[in-house]
Amino acid sequence: MESLQQYALLFGMAVATVGLALCLGAISRTLGKPREEEGKDVPATSGKLHRDPVWARYHVRYYGYALLFLAFDMEMAFMYPWAVVYRELGLVALLDMGVFLAILFLGLLYGWSQGALRRQ
Amino acid sequence: MTTVIVVFALIVGAYLVAVLEAWTTTGRLSFASPLLSGIALLGRESIVPRKSDRIFFEVGPVLLLVSAVLAAAVLPLAPGLIVADLATGALFVNAALAYVMVALVMAGWGPDGAYAMVGGFRFLGQLIGYSMPIVMAIVGVAMRAESLLTTAIVESQAALPNAIYQPAGFVVFSVAAMSVCFLPPFDLPTAPGELAGGTMAEYTGWRLAVVRLARAVLVVTLAAAITVFYLGGWNGPVLPPWAWTAAKTLAVAAVMLVAGRYVPRVREEHMLAWYWKIGIPLALLNILYVGVVLVVGEPSSMSM
Repeated sequence: MESLQQYALLFGMAVATVGLALCLGAISRTLGKPREEEGKDVPATSGKLHRDPVWARYHVRYYGYALLFLAFDMEMAFMYPWAVVYRELGLVALLDMGVFLAILFLGLLYGWSQGALRRQ
Repeated sequence: MTTVIVVFALIVGAYLVAVLEAWTTTGRLSFASPLLSGIALLGRESIVPRKSDRIFFEVGPVLLLVSAVLAAAVLPLAPGLIVADLATGALFVNAALAYVMVALVMAGWGPDGAYAMVGGFRFLGQLIGYSMPIVMAIVGVAMRAESLLTTAIVESQAALPNAIYQPAGFVVFSVAAMSVCFLPPFDLPTAPGELAGGTMAEYTGWRLAVVRLARAVLVVTLAAAITVFYLGGWNGPVLPPWAWTAAKTLAVAAVMLVAGRYVPRVREEHMLAWYWKIGIPLALLNILYVGVVLVVGEPSSMSM
């Protein structure tokens, strides 16, 4: 099968999955209509709506990890093609990627020593 | 035709996972309960919270289901029984599963509820923990198979499954897989009893049915991924290939569901610290180990 066909098939599966969810919704709607009531549609809290948007209450405390994650994430883009041709290239590939990974790993160790691997 | 068979297998798998999960949590084995609760959920009202971000709220559960189905579509059940044997298959599994995080953050942000919001952001932190180990573990598998084709990965394990060839990668991948489908020790985004359901808290009626279906499909997908990448997929004596895949996948799903019941839920900060201090070094060592074994084990490639 051509790759374009395969991606078309995958796209078709995604559309069909959305269709399944919509069908469930349609079936549910035919079974009855909820009664409109005050206070029923408040999110799970103490029964009152928030004065402020709720995201204001959440502090992202893992931003140190997030920065390290970016460095490793970029590196992974190179790992996949490297992994495929690895056996052909042999020792050279191991040394090349070994140096690259060693630098990143030293970065991880440095971040660790500076307290990046701690909840801020 | 293969697509229909794969989708049917996925539905049966999700059904069995729902039965297994109910069994491990309540201790009752009932084959009718997923169907009955599904029908019951369709009959109940599905409330949309006031002041919600309507698009995020509606799209979240559906996106979760779509990402699980797409990841399953590139995993082979038997020779020829695969929806799309992409040249980038092993990478595509990761790409599709990245949307699990997007879906959960959407489901958390959408209803503008405190519990859901905390659950969504917690899963974002969880992704920062698990996503690097899971990606690095797959690299070790791809190095051995010399290909990202999932079928080639299965064929490369005909003599010896990767679970024995690279046990460190197997352990890292399995733990990370449990984090992807937020199973008990890593169920931070839903956290029943602590976050009142978290990202699932605001979903009712048919929308909750979609969320639960998506979660079951996700567990099947990850169990199938472990089977394909580490347990030799369809390889095995006597039984036909599809039976081996089915048996291994169900066994992995059962182990994943049971294992978490005996471990307390990890805290977000501990989980992140353990993934970055143990998981990533272990995954990198696994890559190095596989690299050395492949170079040493093949004298022809040393001559260059």
